[in-house]
Amino acid sequence: MNLMSQKKKIIDFASSFEELEKITQWFDSTENVDVEVGLKKFERGLELASELKKKLSEVENKVEDIKKKFT
Amino acid sequence: MNTLRTISVAEFIKLVNETLRLIPSQEFVVEGEISDFRIAQDKWISFDLKDEKEESVLKCFMTTWQLRAQIEDGMRVQVRGTPKVYERYGQFKMNVQEVEPVGEGALKRAYELLKKKLEQEGLFDFSRKRSLPRFPKRIGLITSRDAAAYGDFLQILNNRWGGVSVFHLNVHVQGREAVSDILEAFFYFNEMSDDERPEVLVLTRGGGGLEDLHAFNDETVARAVFGSKIPVVCGVGHERDESLCDFVADVRASTPSNAAERVVPNREEVRYEIEMMCQHVEEHLRDQIGQRSMVVERATNVIWRVISQQNERLKHLRQRFFDVTHVWAPALFDQIEGFEKILRQLDPKRVLARGYGIVTTNGQVLKDVSLLEIGASVGVQLAKGSFESYVTKKENN
Repeated sequence: MNLMSQKKKIIDFASSFEELEKITQWFDSTENVDVEVGLKKFERGLELASELKKKLSEVENKVEDIKKKFT
Repeated sequence: MNTLRTISVAEFIKLVNETLRLIPSQEFVVEGEISDFRIAQDKWISFDLKDEKEESVLKCFMTTWQLRAQIEDGMRVQVRGTPKVYERYGQFKMNVQEVEPVGEGALKRAYELLKKKLEQEGLFDFSRKRSLPRFPKRIGLITSRDAAAYGDFLQILNNRWGGVSVFHLNVHVQGREAVSDILEAFFYFNEMSDDERPEVLVLTRGGGGLEDLHAFNDETVARAVFGSKIPVVCGVGHERDESLCDFVADVRASTPSNAAERVVPNREEVRYEIEMMCQHVEEHLRDQIGQRSMVVERATNVIWRVISQQNERLKHLRQRFFDVTHVWAPALFDQIEGFEKILRQLDPKRVLARGYGIVTTNGQVLKDVSLLEIGASVGVQLAKGSFESYVTKKENN
């Protein structure tokens, strides 16, 4: 349960980061940015950045010892 | 003489072999130098084990599957096995179970030989190296809990990044059990289901001599690293140490701490990167908006310019119109005066002034007397005043 929620959270980090990267790329690769669209993307970027930064301040890692002994 | 028993050669050799089995061979290792090393049919290995000082030779036999280290002529080794006389050739041989190079020189040589072999097979090829996920969620850690490497790795991991699940498999990193422990760990992680399996494996230990690192230079372990479905980061010892696993691994870390650095990003760097991206996007957007308002400004300027140009033109035209008036206006005035003169001469009042009258009947100017009846009334207009009269007499002309 705890594992699942943790997993979900981290997946979000990777995909949110990727989305932010894509937004940055979009601005870099689009010649004439439609200001309306650009503003929307910019807002989304800020939202992602604040989520990501929040997650960055979580410091804990979890260590799980695998007890299984082989034959 | 006749009290002696007669036995066959085979029986005698059997007796010798039974006697040989009484030797507690498992308690010895025989150390010597290899010569006449041969492999037949890729399976059967034979070599002589010799003492350098005394001229003693022990013939040895084993299979390629038993050979774990690369050996060659002139190498000093320790051999474990059981002695046996082979019936067919009447030869005394050692059936070898294990052979290990001894001394730094021999170990180094064996290491170099195996390294060359694996390299030629393509186990070190850069083309097969896989990249690691940038933000891993699950890490498989293969090391000994008692080793400093364990603490070093986790400490650096925690310093750099959070939210990771580390699955630790406690293994011996040296000694007899090390190889089998590590092989089992690779097997265990690779057999995990897709959603449970770590995204990266870290195989690590502290530094040491060739003797200590033997498990990390073992051919089967190197092949397990090579065959792993999960990308492997290998970090052994100090900067200068190297192991075969290092070369096979997808990422070679110099130390256990460096392994942590290679596996997770630094949160401060990521934070900075996020900020840079936001800034970059914001600047872009500002630029675009700035360009747009410049366009509007430019368009406004253009329109104003056009309007003022038209204004100027109009003014100019008007000026030109007035400027040329003096050229054509007098002529026009003369012409108008001429017309006026003509018109004035044609004015009927001027004719009347000379004493003529205009006779009208029924409001019509009378020009023909035949239209008149005797007794009809006509109007006569003079220059000054008018009167009415009746027709008393008429004459057609």
